[in-house]
Amino acid sequence: MILLDAIHIILPLLMIVSALIAVYLKDLVAATIALASMSLLLSLEFYILQAPDVAIAEAGVGAALTTAILILAIKATKRTEEEEE
Amino acid sequence: MKGMSTIVKTIANIGFPIITIYGLYVIAHGHLTPGGGFQGGAIVASGLALLAVAHGTSWVESKVKEHDLSMLESLGALGFIGLAFLGLLMGGAFFSNFLVDTSMLFGAIPVDGAANINTGGTLPLMNFAVGLKVIAGLFAIVLVMAIATNKEED
Amino acid sequence: MNQRNILAAAFLTIVAVFLMFSALFMHPFGEPTSQAMDQYIIDNTVGETGANNGVTSVVFDYRGFDTLGEATVLFTAVASVVMLFRRLKK
Repeated sequence: MILLDAIHIILPLLMIVSALIAVYLKDLVAATIALASMSLLLSLEFYILQAPDVAIAEAGVGAALTTAILILAIKATKRTEEEEE
Repeated sequence: MKGMSTIVKTIANIGFPIITIYGLYVIAHGHLTPGGGFQGGAIVASGLALLAVAHGTSWVESKVKEHDLSMLESLGALGFIGLAFLGLLMGGAFFSNFLVDTSMLFGAIPVDGAANINTGGTLPLMNFAVGLKVIAGLFAIVLVMAIATNKEED
Repeated sequence: MNQRNILAAAFLTIVAVFLMFSALFMHPFGEPTSQAMDQYIIDNTVGETGANNGVTSVVFDYRGFDTLGEATVLFTAVASVVMLFRRLKK
């Protein structure tokens, strides 16, 4: 049970770390992959909280479809983020 | 948008049937295992989006038209609402499960609390309708955005 | 600019205090407030709908109107996206 509590603390911390990575990266494809990993960790958290329905929906929509749409948008524009000023 | 390299295309060709079969399994077993119409439809649509990203827009555009996808989506929505109205007609209430405990398809009652693929009444039919709707709808979104960005490029 | 920063800091402090209070008085995890309906659904799902998955039986049978609203949301989203980008294509 102590292991489960530790996982409940570690998984949100990893999610915050991957979200910060997605914000700080200048390569937009890499940022998209970081966002997808955050979504996958969220679906893992849902699965541990015994909500497998929500976990499957989150993995399908958040990790796969959002990534596909963002990659399509990046291929139509530029890959790297521009420096401000 | 042109397709990606041969490695990506081969991996997408291998992965696409597996993803599709898994998504259809989630839809068909919606009343037995975790998942349902929306979840399975999202899985199948993500497999189709994988194919679209790997092979390029013009290849997908030559295979399927977005007009057909809109029609399939409307068909799924009409099936869902039609099943609900059939419940009003035959069971006395909107969304009534009129098929359960009859001799029709999906009408068997579970023995000892263990349901199988033939039980569930209208639930599997609604799962199929919503699954069709979600597959067509989400893939239509991806396809239309891909076509629009493609035409803007050249 | 400086005044605006002070204003933003005050506003953020108020929001943070509000969120901390709501976190302190949060409901215990795993104990819903009203569970009168839960036991009925757990007991009668298999007999009434013939489905082992209770979530599907709630989503499509007991609370079908929610799914109707969700389907309407998805339909509206798809219709608006298709309409917007079809105009962009030409």
